[in-house]
Amino acid sequence: MNRREFLITSSAAAGLLALPRFASAAAGTIDLYSGSDANIIDLWNNIIRLAFQKAHPEVALKVTDAGDNNGLRAIADRALAALKTKTDPQADLFEQFDPRLPAGGIDAGLWLKLSAENVEGYDHINPLALDTPYSLPYRGSQVLLAYDTTKLDPKDAPKSWEQLTTWIKANPGQFIYNRPDKGGSGSNFVRRAIHEVNGRDPKKFKVDNYTADYGTEALTPAWKILNDLAPSLYDKGAYTSGNTQSIQLLAQGVVTMVPVWSDQVLQAIAQGVLPETTGLVQLGDLALCGGFSSITVFSNGANKDAALKLAAFMLTKEMQEAIITQIGGFPAISWDHISDDLRKKYADVIPSTIPTFPSGDWEKAINDGWYRSVAPGISRT
Amino acid sequence: MSADTALAAPRRHQPIDRGSSIGLLLVALPVLLLAWLIVYPIFSAVVGTIFVRGPDGATDLTFASYRFFFTDGYSLANLWMTLWTTAVCGTLLLAIGFPIALYLRFSQGRLAAYVQALAIFPMFVPSIILAYALIRTVGPNGTVDLLLNAVGLPKLRTPYLTPWGPVIGLVWDNLPLTVLMLTAGLSSVSNSAVEAARDVGARPLRVFVSIILPRMGNSMLVTASFAVLGIFSAFTLPYVLGPASPEMMGPFMQRTFADMNDPLDAMTQAVITFGFCLVFGIFYIRSIARNREARP
Repeated sequence: MNRREFLITSSAAAGLLALPRFASAAAGTIDLYSGSDANIIDLWNNIIRLAFQKAHPEVALKVTDAGDNNGLRAIADRALAALKTKTDPQADLFEQFDPRLPAGGIDAGLWLKLSAENVEGYDHINPLALDTPYSLPYRGSQVLLAYDTTKLDPKDAPKSWEQLTTWIKANPGQFIYNRPDKGGSGSNFVRRAIHEVNGRDPKKFKVDNYTADYGTEALTPAWKILNDLAPSLYDKGAYTSGNTQSIQLLAQGVVTMVPVWSDQVLQAIAQGVLPETTGLVQLGDLALCGGFSSITVFSNGANKDAALKLAAFMLTKEMQEAIITQIGGFPAISWDHISDDLRKKYADVIPSTIPTFPSGDWEKAINDGWYRSVAPGISRT
Repeated sequence: MSADTALAAPRRHQPIDRGSSIGLLLVALPVLLLAWLIVYPIFSAVVGTIFVRGPDGATDLTFASYRFFFTDGYSLANLWMTLWTTAVCGTLLLAIGFPIALYLRFSQGRLAAYVQALAIFPMFVPSIILAYALIRTVGPNGTVDLLLNAVGLPKLRTPYLTPWGPVIGLVWDNLPLTVLMLTAGLSSVSNSAVEAARDVGARPLRVFVSIILPRMGNSMLVTASFAVLGIFSAFTLPYVLGPASPEMMGPFMQRTFADMNDPLDAMTQAVITFGFCLVFGIFYIRSIARNREARP
């Protein structure tokens, strides 16, 4: 074979190799980006992607880890710029994102408005989970209290906010929560304190009812409660910088109790990060908040229709049950649409309602207020 | 005498003139990159924080965001914390790095090679991994506590989640660069100078003070400015190991930008941080320039 023949054959072979890629590009590959933890990425790659491609063999799904929420924001910013220049943003949907960002995105029409008309199964969604029509809740989880049963007898575990604060004060140094902006377990503990001083009524907080005055009125008493707790926390008022670090301190036997995400703690126990002797308890007077993770769909994505199919697929019974069984999460659709045996099995563990707290301006006010009013609160020496 | 200088002058300048066009071409790409990715953003940040577009769309000259920063106790506490951490880390780095560099400079053999490898090792450990590892070692009930407990000593108060947490992490993380630069600086101390001093009876301390230190001023300044520039803008280690408040400028800026959705304040913090780093940058550039001039 001379050089020319070699070139011809090898380029032909390369062309053949490239063919299936062209073919799949024509049918469409959905570009999904996620900023979530590794357990969620694994769920998408190992379970959801395979099931979706089986149900819709004509579309492929590509899951990309964007690192964190900031990674997603950078992609969203670019998509907004692409919208203005009418180019392909090379992204179709986000696994979990707040469509209020980037600022002005909704007004510019960056996010697709979702409803029963374009997403099958939309009417099955638990009304508690709905936030804005620009995002589609598909999984939820809740914050619980995890504790070491070798140090605290399960029958003495606190069942109400009052019992919890009494226990924290009676056992100084045995409780820690993370900074509210660094992870949901700590931030929902802070939100529970806010609920406590506002008549335990989650309905008082809506995404659009934040004003500076109402914020001060509703939040200031909560800062007082949290400052009052601070000297009894680990190291007289230290706060971990994330959900994982709280679990780490519990695992190292440093503290007796921490607030945790339900899905994360179940997985930590299953993997042996936390011992079998870890107990879980939820407050009975008003549960710690949970949250729903919501898919957002770009209106200018090249595979918009396929992305909507994927969104609808996530609301199917099969996928919603996978969320319960695979990651210990909660379904986003009402429990009536989940099979009976699963519903019975989890009836005791998972309540049918989860209090939630709106994000948007409230989140900003809570994070800044906590950093300014609670974090520096007292001298720790 | 005059003939000498007349001869020497063209010889000194000639190579510079001849190579200047090629040299300029060679530096054009990095300079353009620098202008595009670094100089332009700096100016745009400075301009963006001074000429602020109001809600009515009109652009006004205002120093409000700077006034807020310098009158806000919380922001100032964060700035103070950053300066404190930087000063403590810089001092510790020189204090730890110097003996290691001296040892590496004046000893040969296998042990010195191992020490060098060990000193360089932190360079290959990502700081996020270091941060979690430190929680397990110096953190509460960590390895240090276990070892102390095993020999019957009481627990130490852990530096985790206090200002000393990031200090330990940053010193560990920046040690390789410090040691490398100090070792490079020490190579400018000639063996003959040290031997000459020893021959006339100078003790090791005397050699260090009179022979080594005077030649090291420049490289210590360079080392310190590099360490300071790195530590001032550190993010991961203060984020994971540090206290919730006061926080260092890195995490503070990130939080202001991403959590508070406040690019103006974040940019102001960045400009102020940049201002402090600029001072050390000037030190560095001046010492480099002086070095160049000193060279024949």
